[in-house]
Amino acid sequence: MAENLFNKPLIRVENLFKIFGENDTKKPTVNAIDNVSLEINRGDVMVIIGPSGSGKSTFLRSLNLLEQPSSGHIYVNDVDITDKNVDIDKHRQKMGMVFQHFNLFPHLTILRNLTIGPEKLQGRSIKDAEREGMELLERVGLADKARSYPNQLSGGQKQRIAIVRSLAMHPDIMLFDEPTSALDPEMVGEVLEIMKDLARSGMTMVCVTHEMGFAREVGTRILFMENGRVTADGAPDEFFNNPSNPRLRDFLSKVLQ
Amino acid sequence: MSFSTMLYTMGEGMLRTCAIFILTILFSLPLGLVIMFLRRSRFFIVRTITKFYIAVMRGTPLMLQLLMWYFGPYYLFGMNIRGYRFAAIIIGFSMNYAAYFAEIYRGGMETIPQGQYEAAEVLGYGKAQTFFKIILPQVVKAILPSVTNEIITLVKDTSLAFTLAYNEMFSLAKQIAASQTSFVPFVVAGVFYFVANYAVAFTMEFIEKKFDYYK
Repeated sequence: MAENLFNKPLIRVENLFKIFGENDTKKPTVNAIDNVSLEINRGDVMVIIGPSGSGKSTFLRSLNLLEQPSSGHIYVNDVDITDKNVDIDKHRQKMGMVFQHFNLFPHLTILRNLTIGPEKLQGRSIKDAEREGMELLERVGLADKARSYPNQLSGGQKQRIAIVRSLAMHPDIMLFDEPTSALDPEMVGEVLEIMKDLARSGMTMVCVTHEMGFAREVGTRILFMENGRVTADGAPDEFFNNPSNPRLRDFLSKVLQ
Repeated sequence: MSFSTMLYTMGEGMLRTCAIFILTILFSLPLGLVIMFLRRSRFFIVRTITKFYIAVMRGTPLMLQLLMWYFGPYYLFGMNIRGYRFAAIIIGFSMNYAAYFAEIYRGGMETIPQGQYEAAEVLGYGKAQTFFKIILPQVVKAILPSVTNEIITLVKDTSLAFTLAYNEMFSLAKQIAASQTSFVPFVVAGVFYFVANYAVAFTMEFIEKKFDYYK
């Protein structure tokens, strides 16, 4: 049975559409996601790249229904989360997400940011949650910040905290929405390091990013999106060294220089 | 009338003033939350009715509203309710202040970035949990100075209860001043309001410090 579980994709996306402006007759409709179907397997480190406005973030955000798809299905562990009767909150607990702007809770200490979810939502004891919270803080080298508040931290530190806040929930998959785009250049490295460690530890990850070095080094699968469609999908080697899609070639020549 | 007798008489009025103040705070703070939610409802009709309610509460004098609450049931429905005076005062004050508090809360809600809701959502928080655990504490911090303003105004507004011939402190002060042809009751009243509001400001500053979790 266990084997069976591992053979199945963790996430299966079927004919996903997201159309903006459907209900507004004054504006033209935009197909932000235009018929995307794919599977994400356990252990995949999927990196999504593409020009701005290509639907990368919208696609990522629809995986946990932060964006409600216009049509199509998303199966997580074989459960269709687009079904209205499914308890999406329960599924979200298993899908960590890291945002461009961190979104830490400013009224809580760093440690409390990490423990409030496990304690309030997963019913774990505060002691247990704090012990693990401290372990996670040590893992990202920020144990000394446990009693600080988010506004006392640098951007890079905040993003490291945001990553371990998600990990504290023991997610099956981590979604990253341009996690380094709002950081000063000198802080990008520390965040990417954590993400690389995470990828090496076997975490399933989907990551929207402009960091091509990261994509090449730890990505197991690269997706190229344009106009809401996935127009290239492959292993990093063939993807970067031998791109067949002319739009992708053009894009890569601009970002890689 | 000796000074101590006067203080004693006015003291009773101060208790009534305090009763209006405390009960109004007790009812209007949570009621304001309800009105704020109705004001932000996704249903157009609910939003519109709530907007109109707030417009009336803010757009007409509280004194007039008190008269409406007290005499309305009789003139509109021929109802004669015994001992309704104090209840009418509390309803009038609470409904009025709740409208102001609702708008203060709404302003506070607008300061919370969308990302806070999303961060709570992706952790698996439901709507109610997100509001009470994540959003409300931040809203409270944002609105404390405006709430302090409103509470201080309420302390002084309690004197409007004289409209319904309720013997709160300032009504008594006026009566004593007239009968004794003395200015002293007004001085006592002034000191009372000032001290009460000083206590309010002091308490609110203390609470603000409690919420001062970052510079």
